[in-house]
Amino acid sequence: MMDDAAPRVSFPTRYRKVLLGSLSVVLFFAAWQAIFLLVPFNPLFISKPSLIASGLVDLITSGDLLRDLAVSAVPFLYGFSAAVVIGVPLGIVMGWRVRVGYALDPLMTVFYASPLVALAPLVVIFFGVGVAGKALIIFFLSVFPFIFNAYAGVRAVDRLLINVVRSLGGSERDLYFKVIFPSVLPYIVAGARIAVGRALIGVLVGEFFAASEGIGYAISRFGDIFALDRMFACIITIMVIAMVLTEGIRWTERTAFPWRSGH
Amino acid sequence: MPACIEGRNVNLTFRPPNRRPVRALHGFDIDVQECEFLSIVGPSGCGKTTFLNVVLGLIKPDSGELRIRGKPISGPGTDRAMVFQEFGLLPWRTVLNNIELGLELKGVPGETRRHISRRFIHMVGLAGFEGHYPHELSGGMKQRVGLARALATDPDVLLMDEPFAALDAQTRDVMQVELLRIWQEARKTVLFVTHQIDEAIYLSDRVMVMTKRPGHAKKMFTIKLPRPRDYEMRVTREFNDLKLEIWQELKDEITV
Repeated sequence: MMDDAAPRVSFPTRYRKVLLGSLSVVLFFAAWQAIFLLVPFNPLFISKPSLIASGLVDLITSGDLLRDLAVSAVPFLYGFSAAVVIGVPLGIVMGWRVRVGYALDPLMTVFYASPLVALAPLVVIFFGVGVAGKALIIFFLSVFPFIFNAYAGVRAVDRLLINVVRSLGGSERDLYFKVIFPSVLPYIVAGARIAVGRALIGVLVGEFFAASEGIGYAISRFGDIFALDRMFACIITIMVIAMVLTEGIRWTERTAFPWRSGH
Repeated sequence: MPACIEGRNVNLTFRPPNRRPVRALHGFDIDVQECEFLSIVGPSGCGKTTFLNVVLGLIKPDSGELRIRGKPISGPGTDRAMVFQEFGLLPWRTVLNNIELGLELKGVPGETRRHISRRFIHMVGLAGFEGHYPHELSGGMKQRVGLARALATDPDVLLMDEPFAALDAQTRDVMQVELLRIWQEARKTVLFVTHQIDEAIYLSDRVMVMTKRPGHAKKMFTIKLPRPRDYEMRVTREFNDLKLEIWQELKDEITV
């Protein structure tokens, strides 16, 4: 809104955030590449950006990368969606119904704080190596940020707004849908930002333990056969996906809730 | 003629867990006539806001009788609506959708809702701001929305809890004039709580002074200034004498 009135600034000033951010990434890879000129590393144990780049091109052109990503996306979507559908209502009820909150808070905190990854082998034993087992691991890792953020969001609901809706004849259901849920929504999106990272860990862990395809399986298989260029190419792909998802959610937080910055 | 709001010996004690109980209202009596504008002034914490919440139906008194047009109050109802000090607008709703809230909760269909809301947007002088969000409005405009939302449900009684206390002095003066205009137009019974003696005299037919906690009626003043009121009345001898008289009743109740 203020852009119209803003004084003209030079290109580097206007985009300095993006420029400086990209610069450090470029320098990082340049330094990685350059160090091979000085130190004769064994290429069996470490790769360099130029090899990784050509490995990435191979994986893309052969279609392997896309196929692995498509395979991994399925349990990711199931697990993550289940985390939203179960975590959000559970967190809201825990926040609004004081007794439910008191009862479940310790149990949920224990689960959230523990390294649930340790349970992955157990899940594989029960559910096998299919989509269900992987989705379950992803669900367990990503559900807690939704529960706890919704829970915190409900506790921050403006009591005045509750009184407003009550005084105008609103029912309990109206309170949930017209006050609590809209108030909590920004907290849920913030929770999603944390949950995405954990869900991606879930994808990899699930496929490390038991899988015959998928991006996590590809990473572990390329590692086993010392194809480090392609292994790093897969890791970098995961990093880029994590960054795109996280930034996308952050962008949603900024644009979808303008009133959050208003008061 | 029966009173519009009738309170007899209303008692209320708050019992917060793990803390000492607080007696908020003790033997509170009140009669507000149809279409009367009655203000309550009293020291901070005397229970004025609590009483409004009791009339609104959000808090149940321990004992006593409270009736609106002869009907006992048993909870919130569409015959009453409150204008809140901190506005209480839903930040994710536009001006229009905020004003529609009460109608929506009553189950009024969308088309009718919009039609009614637009009428009140005009009445409070917010035409052209239908699509704005609360964070884009000034304090005075927010309270215009609060007023329109309360009026849109067509209540018999308008309860106002220090509605202009969060506004700057000039905006407050303008809003007082606006409120009187709207009150004349809408013909509502108004129960108005304020800290400001000036404001109470300027707006009201009668002003009640409350004691400190546990609050009850101390003295009632009838304001004989002619209507419509205008700003010049506030600097007349009569106005200032009244202000002094009310202040003398009030000051004994104030403990700092």
